Amino acid sequence: MIRRVLLVTLIVVTALLLQSTAFSELRLLGVRPELLYLVTIVFALLGGPNEGALVGFAAGMAQDFMLHEPKGITALTLTLVGYAVGMGRHLIVSSSPLVPTMVVALASFTGVVFYEVTAFLLGTFGETPAAGAKIALLSAAYNAVLTPILYPLVRRVAEGSVARRVVRF
Amino acid sequence: MAVPRGRPRSARFLVAGLVSCSLLIITLDYRQGPDGPLARAGDAVHTALAPMQQAVTSVTRPVGNFFSGLANLPSLAEENRSLKEQVAQLLTERALVEELQRDLDELYDIVGLRQTLDPAGVPAVVIANGVSNFDRVITIDKGEADGVGVDMAVVTGSSGSARLVGRVVSVTANAADVELIIDRDASVAGVIDSTREVGLLTGQGEEDLRMDLITRPLDLTGTPPQVFTVAYEVGGQQGRYPPHLLIGEVARVFEDDNQLQTSVSVRPVVDFSSLTFVLVLITPAPDEPAAGEPAA
Repeated sequence: MIRRVLLVTLIVVTALLLQSTAFSELRLLGVRPELLYLVTIVFALLGGPNEGALVGFAAGMAQDFMLHEPKGITALTLTLVGYAVGMGRHLIVSSSPLVPTMVVALASFTGVVFYEVTAFLLGTFGETPAAGAKIALLSAAYNAVLTPILYPLVRRVAEGSVARRVVRF
Repeated sequence: MAVPRGRPRSARFLVAGLVSCSLLIITLDYRQGPDGPLARAGDAVHTALAPMQQAVTSVTRPVGNFFSGLANLPSLAEENRSLKEQVAQLLTERALVEELQRDLDELYDIVGLRQTLDPAGVPAVVIANGVSNFDRVITIDKGEADGVGVDMAVVTGSSGSARLVGRVVSVTANAADVELIIDRDASVAGVIDSTREVGLLTGQGEEDLRMDLITRPLDLTGTPPQVFTVAYEVGGQQGRYPPHLLIGEVARVFEDDNQLQTSVSVRPVVDFSSLTFVLVLITPAPDEPAAGEPAA
């Protein structure tokens, strides 16, 4: 359990660092990926709603502490994204590698739009509707492009940290 | 088939708890503002992550520049395999040399700028570029320990033309966050050099800045008019930025016959996507005497 918490922390911190450094220079039409959304969605797909919500809350709080917006909006968004994706994973019947990519794209887009609406309701969203739509679409597309690279990595780490049942004869 | 009800119910309780926790945090942070415990926790996270951001940036910046360079060279696709390898190798070396040369030139500019500007400044390296698509903020590697404080102006450019980057919005012991002038929360008082008309510039995100309160017609034929920061004082409160810092060039005039005032769009002269070195202008706090002046 402790090992898993440490690994999730490591993944979240790495995503946060990469998003604020490397990916701030590798933008897609001026928009960077939302790596913490991607991490949350992948954990939710692999671990279910409980794990999705917990990882989402932790990742969201980590991002909120780096922002100059009211803290808690990203945590709220990612908790709900993680929970929804975790609950919906039972509906996925195909084993196609495209499925995680599409789930990531759809969930990232919905999550970013939810964040924008929440920030707008709190009076802290300064973008125009067109800019907001562009950011939601492009960050979702960028996340989808990164999924085939990051999904196997996160899955490997996530599955490697699960405590295995010991069978003694 | 019986459906196990324990896990979904526990997930619902968990998510309800986490959502309540998030709403509580939003409310607390909203009420307490930048001086509350949550903001201080954010500062602590910034302090802890700044050295790591610095390390990651120093590794990834040349790689990122190399890939950006390759993206602009479609003719490479026509080369054969061995030439491609040679070209890629040469490009890597050239990109690194150009990067080093650019850094060197920029450092020379910053040193020259520091010698000519009053007040003096602290040179800083950009170690991170915000974390969200909605926040136009950069993180620099200088903090309170170097004399950097909130609301200090940050510039770049050469000794011939200091260009405004933004202002410090939060500072920790070893790093500081700088709100860029293109951020939608940023505003600067500026003056158009050709008409000497003063207006208020506001950030528009990825688009050009918008300058309001313009009353005189502007002629955009020929060299575009430039916009500089301007000193002002309202009710004993002085403006945030020192005067004569170049902000940008007027790109477009928004015509509206029904209004007495008009607006213009101002294209910033700073390329915010490739900032590496900046200079923080060390200005005393309003209740603090300037360097060399006796304390009251």
